Amino acid sequence: MKLKIDGIICEGREGETLMEVAKRHGIHIPSLCYRKGFEGLARCRLCLVEVKEGSRRRIVSSCVYPIKENIEVTVTTDEIQRMRKNIIMLLLLKAPNNSYINKLAEEYKVAAPERYMNPLDDENCILCGLCVKACEKMGTNAISFVNRGIYKKVSTPYDDASKDCIGCGACAEVCPTNAILVEDNEGKRKIWNREFNMVKCSLCGSYFATEEAYKLMQEKLNDNEEPICNECRKKIAADKLKESFANIY
Amino acid sequence: MSFVYEEIIHGYPKEKRYTLAILQDIQKRNGFIPREAMEYLSQYLGLPVSNIYSIATFYKALSLKPKGKHIIKVCSGTACHIRGSGTIKEELLELLGIKPGETSEDGLFSVEVVNCLGACALAPVVVIDDKYYGNMTKDKVKSVIDQYKEERVHG
Ligand code: SF4
Ligand code: FES
Ligand code: FES
Repeated sequence: MKLKIDGIICEGREGETLMEVAKRHGIHIPSLCYRKGFEGLARCRLCLVEVKEGSRRRIVSSCVYPIKENIEVTVTTDEIQRMRKNIIMLLLLKAPNNSYINKLAEEYKVAAPERYMNPLDDENCILCGLCVKACEKMGTNAISFVNRGIYKKVSTPYDDASKDCIGCGACAEVCPTNAILVEDNEGKRKIWNREFNMVKCSLCGSYFATEEAYKLMQEKLNDNEEPICNECRKKIAADKLKESFANIY
Repeated sequence: MSFVYEEIIHGYPKEKRYTLAILQDIQKRNGFIPREAMEYLSQYLGLPVSNIYSIATFYKALSLKPKGKHIIKVCSGTACHIRGSGTIKEELLELLGIKPGETSEDGLFSVEVVNCLGACALAPVVVIDDKYYGNMTKDKVKSVIDQYKEERVHG
């Protein structure tokens, strides 16, 4: 189906979200909690856009809005810009010392009212939920939202070293604000209050995954090969490609 | 006899949608939700412990720690607030040496701060178990607590 985003005619399939269609057409919509593969959170609301359907105008979250035929979308209007600024101000109050949020605030020329600011607050999490989703999809459901209201946070049950965690680091990897601490040091990884032993790549010798994460990956892929890190895997693939090209020419 | 959460849990079908009902049931019969019960429930329903913990920490009606023998509710609704429930709350918490939601060391009292107990005419109000104490003052708080400590109140 056809729709217009910022005047550009775009083509999308039924069931696709506005965000996906915009991305494919190279149109930028601000977002924090959208990530391919982990869609559907709609927690940050930075991705608000205006949708005009016939004579009706409304503001929707583009990351969860399924496209419709012939809608006209404006990514940024004055009203939306104001809303985004408000959201960023609130994020800034939540994570006042986070570098990414501060960059965003600068970009949008947002300052938070000083009387609400706690300059010593070292919170980095903005509760977007991406890490929880990543743990559900790639890991082992070791973390979840805990508590409610102003005490809400992401953690393991009882803040303990989780039995379920495999130290894969998917949560830290997707976090938009770098809020999850992963310490890799001499073959050990610390994350979520637990320490893991890491596996060495059989080719380059670098530590690249925890034993538990490596085991799970092997089980999933049903492979029994020697451990090889991503970098080396890529290299092997590239070399093979080169070889096959060399054979052709 | 120790608390048998297995029995409660097995009383429900193995379906996710019963999670909250089961937790409420355990809370009601045991006063709090033990960690082992959560782990057992996780096995039973095939649900990650983290999900159950998330639910258990979300609802105010569910508690992770044993509650005291007596539950004290201090009202901080509008009427009580205007009539000085703030000082009463502070006095109470200081007497027991705890924060709202916690249980005193001797296991006798848990304190909850609530919004309106529906007895505004008696403001400020404190409810202990099911007994209402109206027109509270700082001094009254102490004498009422003492009564419970000496087990002079039977309800
Ligand atoms: S830790 Fe990061 S990914 Fe997880 S909720 Fe917080 S901001 Fe989002
Ligand atoms: S990206 Fe849409 S709500 Fe966060
Ligand atoms: S405000 Fe306290 S009982 Fe209504």
